[in-house]
Amino acid sequence: MIRLHNVAKVYDGGVVAVQEVSMDVRKGEFVFLVGPSGSGKSTLIRMCLREEKVTRGKIWVAGKDITKLPTWRVPYLRRTVGTIFQDFKLLPTKTVAENVAFALKVTGCPRSIVRRQVNTVLELVGLSAKTDRYPRQLSGGEQQRVSIARAFVNRPPILLADEPTGNLDPATSVGIMRLLDRINRTGTTVMMATHDFAIVDAMRRRVVQLDRGRVVRDQGESGYESSEET
Amino acid sequence: MSTFLFLIGEAFVNLRRNALVATGAVLAVFVSLALAFGALVFNELVRVNTLQWQQGDHLIIFLKDEGGPVAHSELLAQINDYPEVKNAWYMDKAGAYQEFLEIYSDQPALAATVTAADLPASIRVELDDISTYQEVQFRLVGHPLLRRLSVFSEGIERLLSLTGVLNSIGFGLVVLMGASAVVLIANTIRMAIYARREEIAIMKLVGAGNWFIRVPFIIEGATVGLLGGGLAAAAVFASHNLLERIPTDILIRFQVDQGFLLSRAILILAFGGLAGFIGSSLGLRRFLRV
Repeated sequence: MIRLHNVAKVYDGGVVAVQEVSMDVRKGEFVFLVGPSGSGKSTLIRMCLREEKVTRGKIWVAGKDITKLPTWRVPYLRRTVGTIFQDFKLLPTKTVAENVAFALKVTGCPRSIVRRQVNTVLELVGLSAKTDRYPRQLSGGEQQRVSIARAFVNRPPILLADEPTGNLDPATSVGIMRLLDRINRTGTTVMMATHDFAIVDAMRRRVVQLDRGRVVRDQGESGYESSEET
Repeated sequence: MSTFLFLIGEAFVNLRRNALVATGAVLAVFVSLALAFGALVFNELVRVNTLQWQQGDHLIIFLKDEGGPVAHSELLAQINDYPEVKNAWYMDKAGAYQEFLEIYSDQPALAATVTAADLPASIRVELDDISTYQEVQFRLVGHPLLRRLSVFSEGIERLLSLTGVLNSIGFGLVVLMGASAVVLIANTIRMAIYARREEIAIMKLVGAGNWFIRVPFIIEGATVGLLGGGLAAAAVFASHNLLERIPTDILIRFQVDQGFLLSRAILILAFGGLAGFIGSSLGLRRFLRV
């Protein structure tokens, strides 16, 4: 579902963010990207979204080589990849329902379908009672649920999450991870960058560890630290 | 269709959120286009008035009633013999009244207070060379039938020589003000984009295409331009209505044809909308790339 082949990213000024990263993420898989700050986790996610262009190598997302994707096709790529961020990235002037509906409206989806799907997904994330609230009227956990609802509302085959629990307390983080786990069980591929070792240890999924832009560990059903180390 | 309505809705929500900046831009466009429209109308006023004068009536010799038509005819023959005069013709009281009614057709209250007997007969003079009007004036000084002599030549001369300059200035003003309207709108849209840069980033992340993001800004710019143009047209119409009420001499008119005003108002409105479209497109060009 996601394939990276010898991917490298060098920023202006020669700062190397990612070097020679190769990995395959199969359909329906749940992968944690772990590693210290500056190890290249977020850059990898941004490259999979074509927010950043690769310096070298190739990335295939949902079967398409996105390194060759023309600029005008990038929005179509992003419609097939749901994204969740640490800072939620909600539109502050729109209500919960409007924020979720926005992801469908940009695709030109008819109003009746928008309404139905928004209601369904808000029920799934447990926010059907707060559809008319604005992001500022919600807790951090609730805002992240809205963000997940928006990412999932058009049923994308892939979900990319960049530190989705980074701003949340442990109890709320567990709730968010349960939600992501449920979404993953529907067949959606999830790739999540995180620092949260408790979550990684509890979930026991595939872990790709990065250090200074390189993959230093790629292990199935693992914890935050290597099984050999622990 | 629902997407288009959604985008229009977004544009108006954005306008409401940036009401202060948008109002500033509307007022700036209004001033620019009102000046441009005003220049067009002023040019037309000059054209209409000089055209009237160039058609003949360089001098109007208002006559006393003494002597009646016979004495008036003698004076007309005398004036026709002047070497400076190309043509002179007599307008009796009835003719003067008809002309008065024509000129003040839109002011029936004023027309009702005047009768043909109140208006003097006159001799209208067309000169070979406008600059010789003073010679005719000298010849008539002290004539017993002369009630009043209206000379338009000086004004005509000045205005005629100014017409070309005024045309160029008017055209220059239209171009300059139009360009400033475009730049103002471009700047307003850039400010709006800057204020909403985080929102735009989010829109891009969820897969909004370039046009989906751009259209509300373009509608916003066009609305600002149309509002500015509309205000400019309204202001010029209002000023024209006020000018029309100023009592003027029989041959100087502060009014232009309503058809002219309407066609130029539509032009100004269309230009406002176009300036908004171009301005917002310019404003968007650099700042909205995926």
